[in-house]
Amino acid sequence: MRHRRRPVPLLITVLVVGVCLFTGVALAETVFVQGKTAKLRSGKTSLDSVVADLKFGEALEVLRREGNWLEVQTASGVKGWVFANKTMTAKPAEGDDDLAKLGKSFRRKDAADVTASAGARGLDKVAEGYARRVGIIQQHRDAVDRMAAYRMSEQEVEDFLKEGGLGEYAK
Amino acid sequence: MQSNLFRTIGPVLALVTIGAWGGCAEVQRAAEDAARRSGDERLAKVIHGGGTLVSGLMPIGYEEERSIGAAIALQVIARYGGVYDQPDLTRYVNLVGHAVALTCDRPDIPYHFAVLNHDSINAFAAPGGYIFVTRGLLKQVRNEAELAAVLGHEIAHVSQKHILEVIQRSKRLAGITEAGLAYANQNPDMFKGLIDAAAKKLLDEGLDQDKELEGDSLGDLFAARVGYDPTAYVSLLTRLRAAKGDDRAFFKSHPNFSTRIGAVQEVIQMHGWKATGVLVEDRFTRLRGRL
Repeated sequence: MRHRRRPVPLLITVLVVGVCLFTGVALAETVFVQGKTAKLRSGKTSLDSVVADLKFGEALEVLRREGNWLEVQTASGVKGWVFANKTMTAKPAEGDDDLAKLGKSFRRKDAADVTASAGARGLDKVAEGYARRVGIIQQHRDAVDRMAAYRMSEQEVEDFLKEGGLGEYAK
Repeated sequence: MQSNLFRTIGPVLALVTIGAWGGCAEVQRAAEDAARRSGDERLAKVIHGGGTLVSGLMPIGYEEERSIGAAIALQVIARYGGVYDQPDLTRYVNLVGHAVALTCDRPDIPYHFAVLNHDSINAFAAPGGYIFVTRGLLKQVRNEAELAAVLGHEIAHVSQKHILEVIQRSKRLAGITEAGLAYANQNPDMFKGLIDAAAKKLLDEGLDQDKELEGDSLGDLFAARVGYDPTAYVSLLTRLRAAKGDDRAFFKSHPNFSTRIGAVQEVIQMHGWKATGVLVEDRFTRLRGRL
């Protein structure tokens, strides 16, 4: 009474591959933005105009590859070129995993207390309390404050890469 | 009797569990209040305990990580002679660090970089994105590509939450089941104990070998993604091995330089990378004069 079911999936596979070959349809390759941001350009050089700003983790369909550049299409249908090093084949994990996000949500009130007291400074109520207990001098507390308050725009970093001829700005 | 109790408490615990994992602390509090109002103090305590137990199993969230990181950063700065306050150098190290951090696997948190006024050859990372490199190490570095890999190594410790794992383990051992920073507010000595233990691991003992090797591999990968020559890190580690000796790695628990070089070379080979010569020596040399 054994049923021979094996030929069915085999048949489907043969049909799919056959249709793809016949119609010339290739299975689309998807890559994901791996940097915090990336620029989608109208051409495959850093001198070409920016068509769109891409976000971390955004899925892109690869249309073709040329050297270090990929021609891609976004989910909203915008086409352009992205520097290949700014993409990866596996979907990147979120910065905080799901469990951490749940934990964060569960501790919302607690976190609000901390950020309210911290403002833009590095040391919150808890870290300040620790500094007092272990006798960290004010100079070192100020150093952590300054460190945390130090801001750098993405444009500054972009200009820095350009000046150094790095990544998509390679000479 | 036992089965009756289970029938009563079981669904409540299940609700509390679902509520807590779903981020609904309000649901838990409402259930607790309702039980208390109905005069069932025992049930209220069970609901409270259930919520606490579940939340204690949660990974450390970013707000808590940030507080822990700031406290550890205080220890690093205090133990390593304070921060070397040279504005141009600070800006330069931050620019290189941010360029690498933007391509790491956790680019959505802020990173902060500082130079420690210390002659030893070392670099550290505290949770929440606090990264330090000593003047001594900067003096050994010859170009921007090497610096990018050093900072990449430290960024990897943050992105992979290596120190947080140590803290999480200590929290479990200390029996801390309260969520978030509530324990730190209620029992500052307990928080101090956790930070002191983490700082000891970071500054005196060093992280485990596998974490260091992962830091090397990912650090080189992050720097390569920016566009730096991936072989630059091998040059730096080889020079440090010659200067310090293979058995004189940073800590007893650290892998020796030969093992680390081997790990980085393996990554280079796996990706099929070649030396590109993108070292960016000029601007590094200009800034090196500020040391």
